[in-house]
Amino acid sequence: MYLPFPLPIYISSSAGPCVLKQLPNRPRLWPCCCLAVALCLLAALPSSAQDFSQDIRPLLSDRCFACHGPDADRRESDLRLDQEDSVLADRGDYRIIVPHQPQASQLWTRISSADEDSIMPPPNSGVPPLTAVEQSMIFDWIAQGAPWSTHWAYAMPQEHAIPDVDGTNHQAENWIDAFIANPIQKSGGEFSDVADDMTLIRRLSFDLTGLPPTRSDVLTIQEQGPLGIQRFVDRLLASTAFGERMAVYWLDLVRYADTVGYHGDQDHNISPYRDYVINAFNDNLPWDQFTVEQLAGDLLPEPTQEQIVATGYNRLLQTSHEGGVQPREYLTIYQADRVRNLSAVWMGATVGCAQCHDHKYDPYTAEDFYSLAAFFADIDEARHFDVGSDSVPTKRPPEIPVLSRGQRQLQATYESRLQQLLQESDSVTEQRQKIEASLASLDASARLSMITVAIEPREVRLLPRGNWLDDSGPIMAPSVPQFLQYDFDDIVGDADRANRLHLARWLVDPQRGIGLLTARVFVNRLWMILFGQGLSRSAEDFGGQGQPPSHPELLDQLALEFVRSGWDVKHMLRLITSSRTYRQSSIPKQWHQEHDPENRLFARQNRFRLPAEMIRDTALAASGLLLQRTGGPSIKPYQPAGYYRHLNFPKREYQATQNEEQWRRGLYVHWQRQFLHPMLRAFDAPMREECTAQRARSNTPLAALVLLNDPSFIEAARGMATRVLLAAQPRDKDSVTIQRLFEMAVSRPPDSYELRQLQDLLMAARGEFSVHPQRAEELLSIGMSTTDRELEDCELAAWTTVAHAVLNLNETYTRN
Amino acid sequence: MHTADHNNSQADSVNRRTFLSNGGISLASVALSQLLCRDLYGREPNALGLPSGLANPGALPHFTAKVKRVIFLYMAGGPSHLETFDFKPELNRLDGQPMPASYTAGQPIAQLQGKELRVQGHLTKFSQHGENGLWISDFLPEHRKIIDKVCVLKSMVTEQINHDPAHTFMNTGTAISGRPSMGSWITYGLGSECDDLPGFVVMTSIGGRNPQPIATRQWSAGCLPSRFQGVEFNAAGEPVHYVKNPAGVSSLMRAQVVDTIRKLDQHRNQLVEDPEIATRVAAYEMAFKMQTSVPQLMDLSDEPDHVLKMYGATPGDGSFAANCLLARRLAERGVRFIQLYHRGWDHHGDLVKHMHTCCGLTDRPTAALLQDLEQRGMLHETLVIWGGEFGRTPMFQGKGGPGRDHHIKGFSMWLAGGGIQPGISYGATDELGYNAVENPIPIRNLHATILHLLGIDHHKLAIKFQGLNLRLTGVEHAEPIRPILS
Repeated sequence: MYLPFPLPIYISSSAGPCVLKQLPNRPRLWPCCCLAVALCLLAALPSSAQDFSQDIRPLLSDRCFACHGPDADRRESDLRLDQEDSVLADRGDYRIIVPHQPQASQLWTRISSADEDSIMPPPNSGVPPLTAVEQSMIFDWIAQGAPWSTHWAYAMPQEHAIPDVDGTNHQAENWIDAFIANPIQKSGGEFSDVADDMTLIRRLSFDLTGLPPTRSDVLTIQEQGPLGIQRFVDRLLASTAFGERMAVYWLDLVRYADTVGYHGDQDHNISPYRDYVINAFNDNLPWDQFTVEQLAGDLLPEPTQEQIVATGYNRLLQTSHEGGVQPREYLTIYQADRVRNLSAVWMGATVGCAQCHDHKYDPYTAEDFYSLAAFFADIDEARHFDVGSDSVPTKRPPEIPVLSRGQRQLQATYESRLQQLLQESDSVTEQRQKIEASLASLDASARLSMITVAIEPREVRLLPRGNWLDDSGPIMAPSVPQFLQYDFDDIVGDADRANRLHLARWLVDPQRGIGLLTARVFVNRLWMILFGQGLSRSAEDFGGQGQPPSHPELLDQLALEFVRSGWDVKHMLRLITSSRTYRQSSIPKQWHQEHDPENRLFARQNRFRLPAEMIRDTALAASGLLLQRTGGPSIKPYQPAGYYRHLNFPKREYQATQNEEQWRRGLYVHWQRQFLHPMLRAFDAPMREECTAQRARSNTPLAALVLLNDPSFIEAARGMATRVLLAAQPRDKDSVTIQRLFEMAVSRPPDSYELRQLQDLLMAARGEFSVHPQRAEELLSIGMSTTDRELEDCELAAWTTVAHAVLNLNETYTRN
Repeated sequence: MHTADHNNSQADSVNRRTFLSNGGISLASVALSQLLCRDLYGREPNALGLPSGLANPGALPHFTAKVKRVIFLYMAGGPSHLETFDFKPELNRLDGQPMPASYTAGQPIAQLQGKELRVQGHLTKFSQHGENGLWISDFLPEHRKIIDKVCVLKSMVTEQINHDPAHTFMNTGTAISGRPSMGSWITYGLGSECDDLPGFVVMTSIGGRNPQPIATRQWSAGCLPSRFQGVEFNAAGEPVHYVKNPAGVSSLMRAQVVDTIRKLDQHRNQLVEDPEIATRVAAYEMAFKMQTSVPQLMDLSDEPDHVLKMYGATPGDGSFAANCLLARRLAERGVRFIQLYHRGWDHHGDLVKHMHTCCGLTDRPTAALLQDLEQRGMLHETLVIWGGEFGRTPMFQGKGGPGRDHHIKGFSMWLAGGGIQPGISYGATDELGYNAVENPIPIRNLHATILHLLGIDHHKLAIKFQGLNLRLTGVEHAEPIRPILS
């Protein structure tokens, strides 16, 4: 019933194909003329230029590929609309597309048909019909000769000339700005003003470290003048908080969590992997190396311990030892999980769709899926089906004990001291014993971490319809997707079997593999971190159903720059943050609202709510409680009683961390996949079951309840109040103290209205607590930090109330 | 400064007014309606923080809805269809004999893999009840009273044989994590009918035997924005996380803090014109309301004794009975999707003892809920669903006394309420209760039915996600179970 070609062109219907309403850029005169006339008119009118990659391919993908695309099993009429030769082929008495002749092209005939049995997509297919505007876009494109190009994300990034830009308003800081300014100028707009220093300082601080700036940051920068900002960027990139901030994003991609995810959701040992990620970003480990170490560190010659810890990546997926699991079934689940994650993280692709059938929209076949899966067949993991225990933590061999970098340094110091002592006389036995004891206790404090150990590869078969019980499919050797092979054979060399190391090298090799494509996926995400949205909006999917980039040339250029810089993440962040584009104000003007409400042109910065972890960090930073210590095991913030009561095997009592580690940053919070901390959930942190390339940003009453009632935020408010009161001089007026308090949260002084509102609240709170001193006592007893006894309860409670209001302001958690 | 003050206070009152008015399309009122999922999708996708590709699913409902809401009584663990509604004389005849290999060869098996497979006859008696003489086991005496209100589905089929993925499959239509649950889909599509409660509420009862865990994934919004996620209400302890004022904070003080936050946010908005701020102001107003409305909802002291008795509910004990009563209260207030989990149905051994426990806790409140809804004229506008993630094997398993293993090829559920033909059964398993042989019902058809009754064409309720037109009913052919619709 699909496309039994050819069909006669319909001539008579007035309500049919030519009802082209509201066409873009082209005046239209009907709807009541007949098609023949309409087509003549269409042909005669100058058509608007249609960009295949931007406009046409996404349409074909969305409406046609499901039946006329890559999936061989579902393909109808032996027609592929994703391949140029199929589209142009001579099919006897008709052609799908005759360039420059839409009227002679079956594609146009069928999409514009008035006949329900003939029109494409078929009305009963569940696919939305093409609108009149979309039909005319295809008409125009055929009329223009149907220019074809490879899907943008599969075409290697090309060098592009830096566009010329005129006018002082488009003054560029670097070449990025030229690519951004050019389309803005063509649209009749201009760059927004540069944001004020305070906004910029705050923006940079959040984007690069996830923490608000300190008062001294602000003062220093202002003293240093124009150079101040650039130095500030350097300082932020050099701080350990930088690696923590980048890790928050990376851990979402690779689905890092502290628990196994399925069934009993027991803890597993993996926190050293998180330290590895933080250190890698702080060391500015070249990102290609970062990739190789995670996927295949164990296969490197003489791997270091850190490279082994990095292979924890392969173990991050959800696992189960539930009674009654069939190992074969779960190994199938795991291999699919790994292919999904690998393709999402590095390729911006949804290869997981090819588990049961060829991909519907992208040229990934089921063979591609299973040959990618075969790379992971050597991972030693099946023992947990037997030894996995209903305990916390459970067992997920293989694991190794790991000392942190600091601990390893300490260990080295002790050991060299011990060597020294051994060479000296035995009069120092006591000293020696002491050092040996220290060494022993260091060893005992090592954390276990799951790692990858290669064993004899399991047999991987292509599973028909993804059915793990079906053994009829062929055995698959590890390989990369057919259409992206490039020189993979050369990478494999004379090895008998391709392995994870070859796979990793192919991902990042710009000559023999898809390195440049991979770079483009990642720089788009860096852009997203710095602008709140990528140059392609679909940071998770660069496939046919994803959104083409708004600035494809710039994205190409950034990818090339990233590779040329030696995969230098800090360089890329420095480059982009120094652009005029980055430094614009985020406040939309009327022009923006009218012409570009979604900010596709980047003629202004974006503003958005901070991610969940940074909300916690901001409150803790303002309170002075934040413990800035890098790496280590996860911590447990205060949590509502009974939140884990539905967990079982074993049952769990949540015990909040009882020392100063309670006040560590959000990225160290224990990530319980099945019961993620409700504060993190309320602010859209993912449960990390699958790759998350882009978090939602919601704005809900549940989130408001967290900020209003979560003890962590009440305690933070008390911390802020304590700080300002202890710093206050006896003669300081309330207004001075309020100003300091306000600045701690939003980095700017309050205006007179804000000041007065907060003064009013302070007065009301003083009244409340002087009448009800026991309420003050109750409020101040929230949280485990001690209350400064120098401060009077009623006064501290009143200021805590004011601080709490400030900690609930939208501005406090908005990155402008 | 005087002028500025005047402007500010005027702005306050104007904003407050538009905020409170429900009509029109002023930013603030849109914001209000968006919160907790009321009537919202698609109007301003980006202002709402929707992920890329989230689009308006078209005018909803797509056709006239038969019901306004759903109450899903989720019997987690896998209740035995062979000890509830699916009576098979042949099973008793073959009791203790080897299970014919024709049934089990090449089939997925959970804990019994590699074991000798023997037929286990029914572990209780069955009798016929209601106008159409439907079979009910002796474990469910109270069900006799409501059997003429329900439609028993005896040919359910699922694809996942372990609890966790099977729950995920039942709730999201796939075993892959990260997809929206049905309650999220429905609140995304239809919103909630109330202004001070979430559209999707989940409760898990306390009591019974050592239960299987239930993950928050089961009520996750997945790739939909988090405001569509199910909100867990707790019948014991704090009813919703963070809904109570902190110690030492009086309602009056709280009101003043919320008021100050609102004024400062609105003041800031005059400078930065950020629609998110308006949404946030409304979120705080709603949060403040919830601090009152949730405790009121959960407080059963206004329920008369005879109602408490009918359910067998003791206020505040977190039992399934108390939750059923709360479900009715949630339904009365306009909550769209209410899901009650009762765990402990995983009877690998000692099935008889454990069925007494589970049925003892759930049978009566289930019957009471249907009767109560009917008496209040609400049953015809409500869809009530009873069932678990799978059924149990016709084969014996003996951890302790006789029991049964997980079974996915045929099991029973029931539906009741608006749009459903009452007092009938639909579909059938084979003579041993193994395979659904007559009108097998895949989970996606159950999903399509639920959506259909709510006035939603399951094809059209879709979002773009990772290149897919993601739907609750997935990519394979799905359709409502039309023969059971009234």
